Amino acid sequence: MSHDDFHGRLEDDRMVTGSGTYSLDWDFPQAAHAWFLRADRAHAQIVSIDASAALAHPGVIAVLTGEDLQAAGFKSLPVLTIPTRPDAMKPLLPFRPCLATGKVRMAGEAVVCVIAETQQIAMDATELVSVEYKELPPVVDALDALKPGAPQVHADVPGNLYWDYDDGDQAGTDALFAKAATIVKHDLYNHRVIGNPMEPRCCISEYDAAKEQYFLYSPTQGPRIQAAMVAKVLGVPTDKVDVVAKDTGGGFGIRSAVYPEYCVTLLASKKLGRPVCWNGSRSESFLTDNQARDFICHGELALDDKGKFLSMRFYMVANNGAYLAPTGLLSQTRSVTSCITGVYDVPVAHARIKLVATNTAQVAAYRGAGRPIMSTMLECLVERAAIDLDMDPVEIRRNNLIRKDQFPYAMTNGTTYDCGDFEAVLDDALAAADWKGFEQRRAESAKRGKLRGRALSTYIESTAAGGIPDEAQLRFEADGTLSLFASSHSHGQGHETSFAQVVSRVLGLPMKTIKLRTGEAGMRVGGGGTGGSRSMVSFGSSFFLGAQEVVKKGKELAAKELEAAPADITFDHGEFSIAGTDRRISLQNLIQKHQGTHPHPLDSSSANKYGMTYPNGAHIAEVEIDPETGVTDIISYIAVDDIGNVITHALVEGQMQGGLTQGAGQIFGEHAIYDRESGQLLTGSFMDYPMPRAVLVEGLQIIDHPVPTALNPLGAKGVGEAGCTGALPTLSNAILDALRPVGVKHFDMPATPQRVWQAIQEAKAGRPSAMLSYTLEYA
Amino acid sequence: MAVKVSMTVNGKSVSHEVEERTLLVSYIRETLRMTGTHVGCDTAQCGACTIHMNGRAVKSCNILAMQAEGASITTIEGVANADGTLHPMQAAFKEHHGLQCGFCTPGMVMSAIDLVKNFPDTTEQQIREQLDGNLCRCTGYHNIVKAIKAAAADPASAKAGV
Repeated sequence: MSHDDFHGRLEDDRMVTGSGTYSLDWDFPQAAHAWFLRADRAHAQIVSIDASAALAHPGVIAVLTGEDLQAAGFKSLPVLTIPTRPDAMKPLLPFRPCLATGKVRMAGEAVVCVIAETQQIAMDATELVSVEYKELPPVVDALDALKPGAPQVHADVPGNLYWDYDDGDQAGTDALFAKAATIVKHDLYNHRVIGNPMEPRCCISEYDAAKEQYFLYSPTQGPRIQAAMVAKVLGVPTDKVDVVAKDTGGGFGIRSAVYPEYCVTLLASKKLGRPVCWNGSRSESFLTDNQARDFICHGELALDDKGKFLSMRFYMVANNGAYLAPTGLLSQTRSVTSCITGVYDVPVAHARIKLVATNTAQVAAYRGAGRPIMSTMLECLVERAAIDLDMDPVEIRRNNLIRKDQFPYAMTNGTTYDCGDFEAVLDDALAAADWKGFEQRRAESAKRGKLRGRALSTYIESTAAGGIPDEAQLRFEADGTLSLFASSHSHGQGHETSFAQVVSRVLGLPMKTIKLRTGEAGMRVGGGGTGGSRSMVSFGSSFFLGAQEVVKKGKELAAKELEAAPADITFDHGEFSIAGTDRRISLQNLIQKHQGTHPHPLDSSSANKYGMTYPNGAHIAEVEIDPETGVTDIISYIAVDDIGNVITHALVEGQMQGGLTQGAGQIFGEHAIYDRESGQLLTGSFMDYPMPRAVLVEGLQIIDHPVPTALNPLGAKGVGEAGCTGALPTLSNAILDALRPVGVKHFDMPATPQRVWQAIQEAKAGRPSAMLSYTLEYA
Repeated sequence: MAVKVSMTVNGKSVSHEVEERTLLVSYIRETLRMTGTHVGCDTAQCGACTIHMNGRAVKSCNILAMQAEGASITTIEGVANADGTLHPMQAAFKEHHGLQCGFCTPGMVMSAIDLVKNFPDTTEQQIREQLDGNLCRCTGYHNIVKAIKAAAADPASAKAGV
């Protein structure tokens, strides 16, 4: 669909009229209401819990504690494991309970669940529960947690080290570093953020005793993967759990997970014999949603005497929080290192990442999931090399890019890039940004007393290939419509439109007759969920192949109708015909002839795995800083992206705009801050946590540069996270570029006015690296 | 303590006994079961619950149902024509891809209608500033701004009112 053809999505009419169905919009008038008593401190032994006053409160139906869950046979909340080297440390996976038992490990951890006739009564009664705690000292900083004598978060995680992860070729890397003419080192802190989808986490849980079936109505990114995780906790087969969802109010990786409240309310529903609703508040989302980033990063780049990159090595410390979330291993390890040397021709590199337990909320996948950690590290390191070695920031990059003729490009860490044209993408960005005219613009800003900075950054990221085949089912209904079934779930991407687009293009059927169905009770369709920018790559491709299967079946039906051999039938624009004749029959006609039969003879499905592919791009930002106030404005932002073939341009542009702005949100202010003494989250509401507003990002220009992949039939590479992965390094570098002329050498984000102003004052006072949070040594 | 509240919602008179502490948004969502108005926060920051009360955009999470006694309320469900034709602002959000997950959209549309009513010759900068009370996490606001600008320029907007 070209941009001009776009007149809205299939999902829009219900959403703009308030007729969408988000999790708490399902009608369960008979539901009881759950509320959770949460730990008011970050680290403590639970001495006793007394809920008698709450139970005696009028309208209270039940109270559940960790002991009740143990009695019900609850298992740990699950963690997705990833392959480890046989000789390496295995990750430690401490038990993660749905309600704390013995100990609380983070402020906000659920301790007691009170169920009452109304939410107000449940909230009132929760205040009547008394918990006696024995305080323990908390640790919230990852480096503090690694120190000898630090408070131990889990008895079975010695030294607070969940995992010492290692990727790449250490010996080969060290050998190349030994030959280097120059080694450039750079430290940065990729600070912690909170994803905040606009729909707070919530659920309605229902147990059907007759069917022995659990139904969870919750925001989701993939009903079946979420059901599998819930089933693990409950200790029942996956088939006994249905996650039901129609509209999901944002996800960004955070809504792919199972959470304690879902499992507790499912048990409550089973015990009470009625549905249980949990109307989760924003405060609870702040405290207990999976949080993101919080990586202390150190990178080293070895160069020869001509500025050619020889190798790279990294040491990072990731603050994983009090528990491992389902994606808490993957997003902090392989997702970081998969594109270990970016778009650069550096096949040999090494990274070590320590995953650390602290008394903070669990950290896991969030838009980019690890890739923005590496893109920021890499591009800030390369920028540093250009500065230290007095090289042109464009040429140092250009001279080290993987060339178009080097694909497939294999690295020693097991990653193989399939295709790309990094230099052409770079050139497009330079042209669009009027790169050469910058000095004039900088001088003009200076006349107005402003500091102008600009930066070019590249990025590349892996989109998540499927571990299991992603299935697409196409079913012709009795009412003449075509239903599409998949296990992915849109949380804003517009799958109803884009998947219908894919199928409509193959079959020539009107978009409005094609209906995507993803989160229905009883639906069993194979594959993963939405995440890792994978939906078009995987489910889109399966729908494309499934639609081709419809054509194949249609040819056989048409052959019978037209009394010809199937091999002689061609299909074009919705019509089957005998080649070289005017004898034809439309697909619509064939559908109608068999309308109402089940299964319809044209019903088809396709389930496939697709190879990992690599969206990439070059972004250029210009910013202007008012040194008197520290206020930074984005003057222009050019994003040139190779996301493979584009199916629906407007939706792709929307994903890029959203991703870039989300990245800008982190760069300019979003910051989850825990108090070092108390372990309390200091930024627990929208009043303390500055979400991006409409004034934050202006002057945005998005340019496609598709280099289609051959690894899936659509040639798509994925777009969901690219904007965020590109924005973090680009804006970081642009801000430092603006600050360098006044003497600032290091600047860790976020670039709040206060921090920018402080950086300038510190530099004036002879402390150019005052805004550097941490330093590490590669070891 | 229960208290009786009466008001007009989307042109219809409604009256119920509610607890005194019931927020207007809870009354709309839970008592009236009109779920187009959303709750995205608990600090009156996000604007997902924006409705019109006596012709002004207000955050319905920040006001008690009692305070709306006798008021004329319009929610997102009352914005389109009875025949289902979208209000020009709704149509512009759709046309310009001004929504993704759609959760903030009802509040955005209600705020935007008020914005254009107050500033008929609005500028892009003014739209961006006026949207300060409405959070969107998906779109980066770019297409929301575009949609509001287009709706402001659409002569149908002035006629549509609300």
